[in-house]
Amino acid sequence: MSNQGNNRVPEQIQEKGVAVFRPELRENEELERFRVSVKNGNALARTKTEIALYAAVCLAILLVPVFLQDAFLLNKYARYLVFGMLAVSLSLSWGYAGILNLGQAMTFGIGSYCMAMMLKLKTIPVHTGADGLPDFMVWNNVTELPWFWTPFYSPLFGVLAGILLPAGVAALLGWFVFKGRVTGVYAAIITLAAMVVVQLVIIDQQAFTGGFNGITDLGQFDVAGFTFDAYGSSSYYLVAICLTVTLFLALAITKSKAGLIVQAIRDQEDRVRFFGYDVALYKIFIFSVSAAIAGLAGMLYTVVMEFASPTFLGVPLSLSVVIWVAVGGRQSLLGAMLGALIVTGVQGALSESETFLDTWTLIMGLLFVLVVLFLPQGIAGAFASLARRFERQRPAPKQAQHAEPIANGREIESTR
Amino acid sequence: MEIFVSQIMTGLSIGSILLLVALGLAIIYGVTGVINLAHGEFVMLGAYAAWFLQTQFGLGLLASLVPIFLLLALFGWLIETLVIRHLYDRPLDTILATWGIGVMAQQAIRLTAGGELRYVQMPESLSQSVNILGATDSAYRLFILFLALGLFALTWGIYRYTSFGLKLRAITQNRAVASSFGINAGRIYRSTFAYGAGMAGLAGALVSPLKSVSPEMGTTYVVDAFMVVVLGGTQSLMGTLASSGILGELSGYLAFYSNDTIAKALVLLAIVVLIRFRPQGLFTARVRA
Repeated sequence: MSNQGNNRVPEQIQEKGVAVFRPELRENEELERFRVSVKNGNALARTKTEIALYAAVCLAILLVPVFLQDAFLLNKYARYLVFGMLAVSLSLSWGYAGILNLGQAMTFGIGSYCMAMMLKLKTIPVHTGADGLPDFMVWNNVTELPWFWTPFYSPLFGVLAGILLPAGVAALLGWFVFKGRVTGVYAAIITLAAMVVVQLVIIDQQAFTGGFNGITDLGQFDVAGFTFDAYGSSSYYLVAICLTVTLFLALAITKSKAGLIVQAIRDQEDRVRFFGYDVALYKIFIFSVSAAIAGLAGMLYTVVMEFASPTFLGVPLSLSVVIWVAVGGRQSLLGAMLGALIVTGVQGALSESETFLDTWTLIMGLLFVLVVLFLPQGIAGAFASLARRFERQRPAPKQAQHAEPIANGREIESTR
Repeated sequence: MEIFVSQIMTGLSIGSILLLVALGLAIIYGVTGVINLAHGEFVMLGAYAAWFLQTQFGLGLLASLVPIFLLLALFGWLIETLVIRHLYDRPLDTILATWGIGVMAQQAIRLTAGGELRYVQMPESLSQSVNILGATDSAYRLFILFLALGLFALTWGIYRYTSFGLKLRAITQNRAVASSFGINAGRIYRSTFAYGAGMAGLAGALVSPLKSVSPEMGTTYVVDAFMVVVLGGTQSLMGTLASSGILGELSGYLAFYSNDTIAKALVLLAIVVLIRFRPQGLFTARVRA
């Protein structure tokens, strides 16, 4: 059954290419591009360039501490990288699966809290609250460690929970939403509402979660005796390596069969469903993977920031992620990541001076509106179309024939 | 009895504010399909306009209602022309664009009027309290309740009995056919957006004496108002009325028995479940597609 389904995907793409002659009917630029590149035999070559590009960027990121020893700056850059990772996770669900998750910070926050709980329990032998309880529990007259805190004594459990718990929560939410065939705007609103609920609960249950203050005064993260200092190159490397791994993992997923089906769902959900695929299952899959990455990013954020706070699950952060991804290009993992680095980097640089701090938000809002209006595919999309233009100007007249209608199609799309 | 009545009145008061805020959002969403995340900022701008008119020109709240409506309507008209008009075919992007506009409005206010809390004086004539069946309630809250109902009736009247409303309903049902009959859909959309924004401004001005005015005040309203619209069904004004009543009473009741935060979380959860099982809302207009 699923085997039969396999053969249908190329067929579907082919049918799309053969049947549509009129450029204005070409609804899907991406698919067209794919078809053209398959025909010209350069799809594989393109994947290779993509991998080389990703590797180059990751290498550059990994080399930063060689040239930079300032602990404060390293900490700041590590923070930006964490945001980059968060952007990758959103790009996966929004750009590739078409699920606009306005609550991406929910899974980020859950991961961050898992790490914080684990690191908090580490401090207990040192700080010794009454009966070895975390300090805020003592202030709230909690007499014994709640059951869901106890397993966090094990660092392994803490790290696993920080990835698996967000994925599980997302799978549950995804099952609830996608099995009911809730899509588009409504799915976006549900993710937003779910995040606010989790945040409200965390704030409300002060005795167990630290409430508004979050969980502060943490121990340092260590693996097998090696301690990751938040203000040192070790934490930076930790974040950079995790980022590299997730970036390539995510890239592999988008190139896998499941990844292709997910993209097909984004473009023509009903058609994929008619071919017999379980659309909801694929959506839940990509939604959970995205959540797991966000959870990992959340954990790293706690390591770098040395606290966890309910603002990590807040609407502002969640919408910031959406901005980064939109600016960078939602349909490019690397673009989304660079979008996060650029926006947060510029923000960080500008907010050092008093006057820019205030105007910056204004500028960012404007920038965002302009990007949505004029660059729906973000910076990465703009670069891709530039690259295509160059490619077209080079010899290959056969290719030019194919490329022309695409440009037309895009023009129509943008003037609609 | 006394507690019961005051409980009902609290619910009604919350509900009337919800209705005021949600009305504009419901019209815009129902007609154009745009989820206006900047709606809360429209409300906030209305409140600031009331504060500004009061402190700079000594204008009373009641006297400034009409200018505020016009001001915000103009603002909405501008936003529609500059941004929203280009995004009708990309519903997800309207969320993003309107959110960006909201951020800009918030920051612009913070830069010009300052980030601190502002207070608007209640109209002198409405500042005493009224006795209803043994329970006391502030006259101003009652005034808001009646005004909200009045504005709702006005909107309903426009929707139902004017030629503008007829065109509006025609476009909502089938834009292509309506356009082919010579209805200028673009203009109707623009006026709808302006009207919705004006309503939001009125809502902001009216709640400003009850709550402190701050640049962030809009965010809480937009979530609540959106919930009202989702619950009520996007195509029906009566649904908006009913659902703001229901949500008002519900959150009043829940806040009475548990705390505010949990009440809010429960309401949100209920909404999530509702969207999942009845995305068209509780009350839907029967329209042939």
